Amino acid sequence: MIYLDSAATSLLKPREVAEAMERAMRTMASPGRGGHRPAMLAADTAFRCREELAQFFNAPAPENVVFTMNATHGLNIALSTLVERGDRVVISGYEHNAVTRPLHMLGAQTDVAHSPPFDRAAALEAFRERLPGARCCVCTHVSNVLGAVLPVYEIGGLCAEYGVPFVVDASQSAGVLEVDMGRLGAEFVAMPGHKGLLGPQGTGVLLCRGDAKPIMAGGTGSESRNQNMPQTLPDALEAGTHNIPGIAGLLAGTRWVRRRGLEAIERHERRLKDLMAERLAGVPELELFVSDESGEQSGVLSVRGLRMGSEELAAALGERGVAVRAGLHCAPLSHMSAGTIEGGTVRFSFSPFNTPGEVARAAELLKKLVRGR
Amino acid sequence: MNIIMCRSLTYAQRASSALERAGITAMVARAPQELTNRGCGYCVKVSPRRFLDAIGVLRRAGVPHGRLFREEPGGRYVEVGE
Repeated sequence: MIYLDSAATSLLKPREVAEAMERAMRTMASPGRGGHRPAMLAADTAFRCREELAQFFNAPAPENVVFTMNATHGLNIALSTLVERGDRVVISGYEHNAVTRPLHMLGAQTDVAHSPPFDRAAALEAFRERLPGARCCVCTHVSNVLGAVLPVYEIGGLCAEYGVPFVVDASQSAGVLEVDMGRLGAEFVAMPGHKGLLGPQGTGVLLCRGDAKPIMAGGTGSESRNQNMPQTLPDALEAGTHNIPGIAGLLAGTRWVRRRGLEAIERHERRLKDLMAERLAGVPELELFVSDESGEQSGVLSVRGLRMGSEELAAALGERGVAVRAGLHCAPLSHMSAGTIEGGTVRFSFSPFNTPGEVARAAELLKKLVRGR
Repeated sequence: MNIIMCRSLTYAQRASSALERAGITAMVARAPQELTNRGCGYCVKVSPRRFLDAIGVLRRAGVPHGRLFREEPGGRYVEVGE
Protein backbone atom coordinates (compact mmCIF):
# COMPACT_ATOMS: atom_id res chain seq x y z
CA MET A 1 0.00 0.00 0.00
CA ILE A 2 1.09 3.56 -0.69
CA TYR A 3 0.00 5.64 2.29
CA LEU A 4 -0.53 9.28 1.37
CA ASP A 5 -2.86 10.36 4.17
CA SER A 6 -0.40 11.63 6.78
CA ALA A 7 -2.32 14.89 7.22
CA ALA A 8 -4.99 12.76 8.92
CA THR A 9 -2.68 10.37 10.77
CA SER A 10 0.92 9.48 10.12
CA LEU A 11 0.55 5.73 9.81
CA LEU A 12 4.21 5.27 8.94
CA LYS A 13 6.20 5.69 12.16
CA PRO A 14 9.74 5.11 13.28
CA ARG A 15 10.24 1.63 14.77
CA GLU A 16 11.16 3.22 18.12
CA VAL A 17 7.61 4.48 18.64
CA ALA A 18 6.01 1.03 18.85
CA GLU A 19 8.97 -0.25 20.90
CA ALA A 20 8.60 2.56 23.44
CA MET A 21 4.88 1.92 23.72
CA GLU A 22 5.36 -1.79 24.21
CA ARG A 23 7.97 -1.12 26.90
CA ALA A 24 5.62 1.31 28.64
CA MET A 25 2.81 -1.22 28.64
CA ARG A 26 5.03 -3.82 30.24
CA THR A 27 6.81 -1.67 32.83
CA MET A 28 4.92 1.54 33.61
CA ALA A 29 1.90 2.37 35.74
CA SER A 30 0.46 5.88 36.25
CA PRO A 31 2.32 9.07 37.13
CA GLY A 32 1.23 10.67 40.37
CA ARG A 33 -0.56 7.55 41.55
CA GLY A 34 2.11 6.07 43.77
CA GLY A 35 5.71 6.17 44.81
CA HIS A 36 6.50 2.67 43.57
CA ARG A 37 8.84 1.97 40.69
CA PRO A 38 6.26 1.43 37.91
CA ALA A 39 4.53 4.70 38.87
CA MET A 40 7.80 6.62 39.06
CA LEU A 41 8.95 5.18 35.71
CA ALA A 42 5.72 6.46 34.18
CA ALA A 43 6.20 9.83 35.87
CA ASP A 44 9.73 10.03 34.53
CA THR A 45 8.55 9.28 30.97
CA ALA A 46 5.82 11.92 31.17
CA PHE A 47 8.23 14.51 32.51
CA ARG A 48 10.90 13.76 29.91
CA CYS A 49 8.25 14.14 27.23
CA ARG A 50 7.12 17.51 28.68
CA GLU A 51 10.75 18.68 28.87
CA GLU A 52 11.47 17.61 25.29
CA LEU A 53 8.32 19.28 23.94
CA ALA A 54 8.82 22.48 25.96
CA GLN A 55 12.30 22.79 24.52
CA PHE A 56 11.25 21.89 20.97
CA PHE A 57 8.36 24.39 20.88
CA ASN A 58 9.94 27.04 23.10
CA ALA A 59 7.23 26.80 25.76
CA PRO A 60 7.99 28.55 29.07
CA ALA A 61 8.56 25.37 31.14
CA PRO A 62 7.71 21.64 31.24
CA GLU A 63 4.56 22.30 33.30
CA ASN A 64 3.21 24.45 30.47
CA VAL A 65 3.02 21.31 28.32
CA VAL A 66 -0.36 19.66 28.90
CA PHE A 67 -1.16 16.21 27.53
CA THR A 68 -4.47 15.95 25.71
CA MET A 69 -6.24 13.29 23.67
CA ASN A 70 -5.69 15.17 20.43
CA ALA A 71 -5.51 18.72 19.07
CA THR A 72 -9.30 19.07 19.22
CA HIS A 73 -9.23 18.43 22.96
CA GLY A 74 -6.57 21.12 23.40
CA LEU A 75 -8.46 23.63 21.28
CA ASN A 76 -11.61 23.03 23.33
CA ILE A 77 -9.69 23.83 26.53
CA ALA A 78 -8.13 26.95 25.00
CA LEU A 79 -11.39 28.30 23.61
CA SER A 80 -13.39 27.50 26.77
CA THR A 81 -10.80 29.46 28.73
CA LEU A 82 -10.86 32.54 26.52
CA VAL A 83 -14.31 32.77 24.97
CA GLU A 84 -17.78 33.44 26.36
CA ARG A 85 -21.16 33.60 24.65
CA GLY A 86 -21.42 36.52 22.27
CA ASP A 87 -17.67 37.22 22.14
CA ARG A 88 -16.28 38.13 18.75
CA VAL A 89 -13.50 35.76 17.71
CA VAL A 90 -11.42 36.33 14.59
CA ILE A 91 -10.48 33.18 12.69
CA SER A 92 -8.85 32.46 9.35
CA GLY A 93 -10.80 31.17 6.37
CA TYR A 94 -8.95 27.86 6.70
CA GLU A 95 -10.02 26.63 10.14
CA HIS A 96 -10.94 23.04 10.87
CA ASN A 97 -14.17 22.03 12.61
CA ALA A 98 -11.94 21.52 15.67
CA VAL A 99 -12.02 25.31 15.93
CA THR A 100 -15.36 26.29 14.41
CA ARG A 101 -17.51 23.74 16.24
CA PRO A 102 -16.25 24.61 19.75
CA LEU A 103 -16.78 28.30 18.93
CA HIS A 104 -20.31 27.52 17.75
CA MET A 105 -20.96 25.50 20.91
CA LEU A 106 -19.69 28.38 23.06
CA GLY A 107 -22.03 30.79 21.28
CA ALA A 108 -19.18 32.93 19.97
CA GLN A 109 -19.58 35.30 17.09
CA THR A 110 -17.02 34.12 14.54
CA ASP A 111 -15.54 36.80 12.35
CA VAL A 112 -13.79 35.12 9.42
CA ALA A 113 -10.71 36.82 7.99
CA HIS A 114 -11.31 35.57 4.46
CA SER A 115 -8.42 35.45 2.00
CA PRO A 116 -7.73 33.60 -1.26
CA PRO A 117 -5.72 30.37 -1.01
CA PHE A 118 -1.95 30.87 -0.68
CA ASP A 119 -2.25 34.67 -0.43
CA ARG A 120 -0.38 35.45 2.79
CA ALA A 121 -0.49 39.20 2.33
CA ALA A 122 -4.26 39.17 1.89
CA ALA A 123 -4.63 36.93 4.96
CA LEU A 124 -2.56 39.31 7.06
CA GLU A 125 -4.55 42.31 5.87
CA ALA A 126 -7.85 40.55 6.63
CA PHE A 127 -6.66 39.88 10.20
CA ARG A 128 -5.42 43.43 10.61
CA GLU A 129 -8.87 44.80 9.72
CA ARG A 130 -10.74 42.55 12.13
CA LEU A 131 -8.51 42.29 15.21
CA PRO A 132 -9.26 45.59 16.99
CA GLY A 133 -11.77 44.91 19.75
CA ALA A 134 -11.85 41.14 19.22
CA ARG A 135 -11.95 38.85 22.26
CA CYS A 136 -9.65 36.27 20.76
CA CYS A 137 -7.95 35.21 17.54
CA VAL A 138 -7.50 31.66 16.26
CA CYS A 139 -5.42 30.68 13.28
CA THR A 140 -4.25 27.40 11.86
CA HIS A 141 -0.57 27.36 10.96
CA VAL A 142 -1.19 25.20 7.88
CA SER A 143 -4.47 24.44 6.12
CA ASN A 144 -5.21 20.72 6.40
CA VAL A 145 -6.95 20.85 3.01
CA LEU A 146 -4.52 22.82 0.86
CA GLY A 147 -1.26 22.79 2.79
CA ALA A 148 -1.32 26.59 2.62
CA VAL A 149 1.03 28.05 5.24
CA LEU A 150 -0.59 30.99 7.02
CA PRO A 151 1.50 33.91 8.31
CA VAL A 152 1.00 33.00 11.97
CA TYR A 153 4.08 34.81 13.25
CA GLU A 154 2.95 38.06 11.67
CA ILE A 155 -0.63 37.50 12.88
CA GLY A 156 0.79 36.90 16.36
CA GLY A 157 2.53 40.28 16.09
CA LEU A 158 -0.76 41.95 15.21
CA CYS A 159 -2.50 40.21 18.12
CA ALA A 160 0.17 41.56 20.47
CA GLU A 161 -0.29 45.06 19.00
CA TYR A 162 -4.07 44.97 19.56
CA GLY A 163 -3.94 43.07 22.87
CA VAL A 164 -5.90 40.09 21.53
CA PRO A 165 -5.10 36.62 22.94
CA PHE A 166 -3.85 34.36 20.17
CA VAL A 167 -4.53 30.63 19.76
CA VAL A 168 -2.58 28.63 17.18
CA ASP A 169 -3.72 25.32 15.74
CA ALA A 170 -0.46 23.59 14.88
CA SER A 171 -2.11 20.34 13.81
CA GLN A 172 -0.45 20.28 10.40
CA SER A 173 2.80 22.01 11.28
CA ALA A 174 4.08 20.46 14.53
CA GLY A 175 6.96 18.21 13.56
CA VAL A 176 7.21 19.69 10.07
CA LEU A 177 7.64 23.47 10.36
CA GLU A 178 9.12 25.51 13.15
CA VAL A 179 6.52 26.16 15.86
CA ASP A 180 7.99 28.63 18.35
CA MET A 181 5.51 29.51 21.07
CA GLY A 182 7.61 32.43 22.29
CA ARG A 183 7.93 33.99 18.87
CA LEU A 184 4.24 33.39 18.11
CA GLY A 185 3.29 35.22 21.30
CA ALA A 186 0.45 32.72 21.57
CA GLU A 187 -1.64 32.14 24.67
CA PHE A 188 -2.21 28.54 23.57
CA VAL A 189 -0.79 26.26 20.88
CA ALA A 190 -2.65 23.01 20.24
CA MET A 191 -1.29 20.04 18.32
CA PRO A 192 -1.90 16.33 17.85
CA GLY A 193 0.72 13.75 18.72
CA HIS A 194 -0.25 11.41 15.89
CA LYS A 195 0.59 13.49 12.83
CA GLY A 196 3.94 15.21 12.28
CA LEU A 197 5.26 14.27 15.73
CA LEU A 198 4.86 10.62 14.70
CA GLY A 199 3.32 9.49 17.99
CA PRO A 200 0.28 7.25 18.31
CA GLN A 201 -3.38 8.17 17.94
CA GLY A 202 -4.96 9.35 21.18
CA THR A 203 -2.13 11.73 22.02
CA GLY A 204 -2.07 15.50 21.78
CA VAL A 205 -0.44 18.49 23.39
CA LEU A 206 -1.67 21.88 24.52
CA LEU A 207 1.02 24.45 25.21
CA CYS A 208 -0.34 26.97 27.71
CA ARG A 209 1.24 30.32 28.48
CA GLY A 210 -0.70 30.75 31.72
CA ASP A 211 -3.71 29.45 33.57
CA ALA A 212 -6.50 27.65 31.77
CA LYS A 213 -10.00 26.52 32.61
CA PRO A 214 -10.44 22.77 33.03
CA ILE A 215 -13.18 21.23 30.90
CA MET A 216 -13.00 18.01 32.86
CA ALA A 217 -12.59 17.41 36.61
CA GLY A 218 -11.32 14.38 38.46
CA GLY A 219 -8.34 12.77 40.12
CA THR A 220 -4.90 14.20 39.54
CA GLY A 221 -2.87 12.42 42.20
CA SER A 222 -2.42 15.75 43.97
CA GLU A 223 -4.33 17.82 46.57
CA SER A 224 -6.80 14.96 46.95
CA ARG A 225 -8.75 16.55 49.81
CA ASN A 226 -9.46 19.61 47.74
CA GLN A 227 -12.70 19.24 45.79
CA ASN A 228 -11.69 21.97 43.36
CA MET A 229 -9.29 21.07 40.61
CA PRO A 230 -5.69 22.06 41.45
CA GLN A 231 -4.89 25.41 39.89
CA THR A 232 -1.35 24.60 38.86
CA LEU A 233 -0.48 23.33 35.41
CA PRO A 234 -0.42 20.65 34.17
CA ASP A 235 -2.57 19.04 36.89
CA ALA A 236 -5.39 21.57 36.38
CA LEU A 237 -6.02 20.19 32.89
CA GLU A 238 -5.08 16.54 33.27
CA ALA A 239 -7.84 14.83 35.26
CA GLY A 240 -7.80 11.05 35.14
CA THR A 241 -5.21 8.46 34.25
CA HIS A 242 -2.65 9.42 31.62
CA ASN A 243 -2.15 7.58 28.36
CA ILE A 244 1.37 6.55 29.30
CA PRO A 245 2.02 4.14 26.40
CA GLY A 246 0.86 6.97 24.12
CA ILE A 247 3.11 9.51 25.83
CA ALA A 248 6.06 7.11 25.59
CA GLY A 249 5.37 6.75 21.87
CA LEU A 250 5.01 10.50 21.47
CA LEU A 251 8.37 11.02 23.18
CA ALA A 252 10.02 8.51 20.84
CA GLY A 253 8.39 10.12 17.79
CA THR A 254 9.41 13.62 18.85
CA ARG A 255 12.98 12.52 19.42
CA TRP A 256 13.08 10.98 15.95
CA VAL A 257 11.79 14.22 14.43
CA ARG A 258 14.38 16.28 16.29
CA ARG A 259 17.19 13.94 15.21
CA ARG A 260 16.08 14.06 11.58
CA GLY A 261 15.61 17.84 11.75
CA LEU A 262 12.65 19.97 10.71
CA GLU A 263 14.43 21.37 7.71
CA ALA A 264 15.12 17.93 6.25
CA ILE A 265 11.56 16.75 6.90
CA GLU A 266 10.01 19.86 5.42
CA ARG A 267 12.28 19.72 2.37
CA HIS A 268 11.47 16.04 1.77
CA GLU A 269 7.71 16.48 2.06
CA ARG A 270 7.70 19.59 -0.13
CA ARG A 271 9.77 17.78 -2.75
CA LEU A 272 7.20 14.97 -2.85
CA LYS A 273 4.36 17.48 -3.14
CA ASP A 274 6.20 19.26 -5.97
CA LEU A 275 6.83 15.94 -7.71
CA MET A 276 3.15 15.01 -7.49
CA ALA A 277 2.15 18.42 -8.83
CA GLU A 278 4.63 18.12 -11.70
CA ARG A 279 3.33 14.68 -12.64
CA LEU A 280 -0.27 15.86 -12.62
CA ALA A 281 0.28 19.24 -14.25
CA GLY A 282 -1.48 19.67 -17.57
CA VAL A 283 -3.93 16.81 -17.02
CA PRO A 284 -7.13 18.43 -18.31
CA GLU A 285 -9.41 16.25 -16.15
CA LEU A 286 -7.86 17.60 -12.95
CA GLU A 287 -7.67 20.90 -11.12
CA LEU A 288 -4.66 21.23 -8.81
CA PHE A 289 -4.39 23.55 -5.82
CA VAL A 290 -0.77 24.61 -5.91
CA SER A 291 0.96 27.73 -4.71
CA ASP A 292 3.27 29.59 -7.06
CA GLU A 293 5.67 29.95 -4.15
CA SER A 294 6.87 26.57 -2.86
CA GLY A 295 7.45 28.01 0.63
CA GLU A 296 3.77 28.86 0.98
CA GLN A 297 2.66 25.23 0.77
CA SER A 298 3.65 22.31 2.97
CA GLY A 299 3.62 18.64 1.94
CA VAL A 300 -0.09 18.55 1.14
CA LEU A 301 -1.67 18.64 -2.32
CA SER A 302 -5.39 18.82 -3.03
CA VAL A 303 -6.79 18.00 -6.44
CA ARG A 304 -10.28 18.04 -7.91
CA GLY A 305 -11.48 15.67 -10.60
CA LEU A 306 -13.47 17.59 -13.17
CA ARG A 307 -15.31 14.46 -14.40
CA MET A 308 -15.12 12.18 -11.36
CA GLY A 309 -16.16 13.11 -7.81
CA SER A 310 -13.54 13.21 -5.08
CA GLU A 311 -15.04 10.32 -3.11
CA GLU A 312 -15.21 8.20 -6.25
CA LEU A 313 -11.60 8.98 -7.10
CA ALA A 314 -10.34 8.25 -3.59
CA ALA A 315 -12.26 4.97 -3.49
CA ALA A 316 -10.79 3.92 -6.84
CA LEU A 317 -7.30 4.82 -5.65
CA GLY A 318 -7.92 2.90 -2.41
CA GLU A 319 -8.92 -0.21 -4.39
CA ARG A 320 -5.59 0.08 -6.21
CA GLY A 321 -3.59 0.39 -3.00
CA VAL A 322 -3.23 4.16 -2.62
CA ALA A 323 -4.60 5.59 0.65
CA VAL A 324 -5.76 9.21 0.38
CA ARG A 325 -8.57 11.26 1.87
CA ALA A 326 -11.46 12.77 -0.04
CA GLY A 327 -14.35 15.10 0.73
CA LEU A 328 -14.36 18.13 2.99
CA HIS A 329 -11.65 16.95 5.42
CA CYS A 330 -13.68 18.27 8.42
CA ALA A 331 -12.89 21.77 7.16
CA PRO A 332 -15.87 23.15 5.21
CA LEU A 333 -14.66 26.70 5.79
CA SER A 334 -11.43 25.89 3.98
CA HIS A 335 -13.35 24.44 1.06
CA MET A 336 -15.51 27.58 0.92
CA SER A 337 -12.30 29.61 0.69
CA ALA A 338 -10.99 27.35 -2.08
CA GLY A 339 -14.31 27.21 -3.95
CA THR A 340 -14.53 23.43 -3.50
CA ILE A 341 -17.38 23.17 -1.01
CA GLU A 342 -19.46 21.20 -3.52
CA GLY A 343 -17.76 17.83 -3.69
CA GLY A 344 -14.53 18.69 -1.93
CA THR A 345 -11.12 17.51 -3.09
CA VAL A 346 -8.84 14.50 -3.03
CA ARG A 347 -5.95 15.21 -0.71
CA PHE A 348 -2.49 13.71 -0.99
CA SER A 349 -0.36 14.26 2.10
CA PHE A 350 3.18 13.09 2.51
CA SER A 351 5.39 11.87 5.33
CA PRO A 352 9.13 11.52 5.94
CA PHE A 353 8.78 7.84 5.00
CA ASN A 354 7.20 8.25 1.56
CA THR A 355 9.46 7.93 -1.47
CA PRO A 356 9.51 9.65 -4.87
CA GLY A 357 8.78 6.25 -6.44
CA GLU A 358 5.56 5.90 -4.46
CA VAL A 359 4.48 9.39 -5.43
CA ALA A 360 5.18 8.74 -9.11
CA ARG A 361 3.16 5.50 -9.02
CA ALA A 362 0.22 7.23 -7.28
CA ALA A 363 0.29 10.03 -9.86
CA GLU A 364 0.25 7.57 -12.76
CA LEU A 365 -2.66 5.68 -11.24
CA LEU A 366 -4.63 8.88 -10.77
CA LYS A 367 -3.98 9.94 -14.35
CA LYS A 368 -5.20 6.57 -15.66
CA LEU A 369 -8.32 6.79 -13.49
CA VAL A 370 -9.36 10.27 -14.58
CA ARG A 371 -8.73 9.38 -18.21
CA GLY A 372 -11.02 6.38 -17.84
CA ARG A 373 -8.33 3.76 -18.42
CA MET B 1 16.84 13.24 54.12
CA ASN B 2 15.48 16.77 54.12
CA ILE B 3 12.35 17.61 52.21
CA ILE B 4 11.43 20.28 49.72
CA MET B 5 7.67 20.27 49.20
CA CYS B 6 6.42 20.92 45.66
CA ARG B 7 3.13 22.06 44.14
CA SER B 8 2.74 18.97 42.04
CA LEU B 9 4.56 15.95 40.70
CA THR B 10 5.69 17.93 37.64
CA TYR B 11 7.15 20.72 39.79
CA ALA B 12 8.93 18.10 41.91
CA GLN B 13 10.37 16.59 38.75
CA ARG B 14 11.43 19.99 37.49
CA ALA B 15 13.13 20.68 40.83
CA SER B 16 14.85 17.32 40.80
CA SER B 17 16.01 17.86 37.24
CA ALA B 18 17.48 21.30 38.10
CA LEU B 19 19.23 19.86 41.17
CA GLU B 20 20.67 16.89 39.29
CA ARG B 21 22.00 19.27 36.64
CA ALA B 22 23.75 21.18 39.42
CA GLY B 23 25.29 17.95 40.72
CA ILE B 24 22.97 17.56 43.72
CA THR B 25 21.40 14.16 44.14
CA ALA B 26 17.66 14.60 44.51
CA MET B 27 14.86 12.07 44.71
CA VAL B 28 11.25 12.72 43.75
CA ALA B 29 8.97 11.04 46.28
CA ARG B 30 5.45 11.06 47.65
CA ALA B 31 5.32 13.61 50.44
CA PRO B 32 4.93 12.23 53.97
CA GLN B 33 1.24 12.29 54.87
CA GLU B 34 1.68 14.56 57.90
CA LEU B 35 3.15 17.28 55.68
CA THR B 36 0.37 17.42 53.09
CA ASN B 37 -2.56 19.38 54.43
CA ARG B 38 -4.52 18.98 51.17
CA GLY B 39 -3.77 15.29 50.74
CA CYS B 40 -1.45 13.60 48.22
CA GLY B 41 1.56 15.67 47.37
CA TYR B 42 5.05 15.32 46.06
CA CYS B 43 8.39 16.43 47.33
CA VAL B 44 12.07 16.27 46.56
CA LYS B 45 14.38 14.66 49.07
CA VAL B 46 17.96 15.87 49.37
CA SER B 47 20.74 15.16 51.80
CA PRO B 48 20.92 17.58 54.77
CA ARG B 49 24.48 18.36 53.71
CA ARG B 50 23.32 19.81 50.35
CA PHE B 51 20.02 21.29 51.57
CA LEU B 52 21.04 24.95 51.50
CA ASP B 53 22.85 24.53 48.19
CA ALA B 54 19.70 22.92 46.78
CA ILE B 55 17.47 25.82 47.83
CA GLY B 56 19.91 28.23 46.21
CA VAL B 57 19.94 26.22 42.96
CA LEU B 58 16.12 26.21 42.79
CA ARG B 59 15.96 29.95 43.47
CA ARG B 60 18.47 30.71 40.74
CA ALA B 61 16.73 28.35 38.28
CA GLY B 62 13.35 29.97 39.00
CA VAL B 63 11.78 26.70 40.12
CA PRO B 64 9.08 27.38 42.70
CA HIS B 65 8.84 25.18 45.75
CA GLY B 66 6.72 24.83 48.86
CA ARG B 67 7.58 24.45 52.53
CA LEU B 68 10.94 23.07 53.66
CA PHE B 69 11.44 20.38 56.28
CA ARG B 70 14.42 18.99 58.11
CA GLU B 71 14.32 15.36 59.16
CA GLU B 72 15.08 14.89 62.85
CA PRO B 73 16.39 11.71 64.43
CA GLY B 74 13.45 9.37 64.85
CA GLY B 75 11.91 10.42 61.54
CA ARG B 76 10.11 13.57 62.75
CA TYR B 77 10.03 16.54 60.39
CA VAL B 78 10.62 20.11 61.50
CA GLU B 79 9.76 23.01 59.23
CA VAL B 80 12.63 25.35 58.48
CA GLY B 81 12.69 28.77 56.91
CA GLU B 82 14.72 29.60 53.84
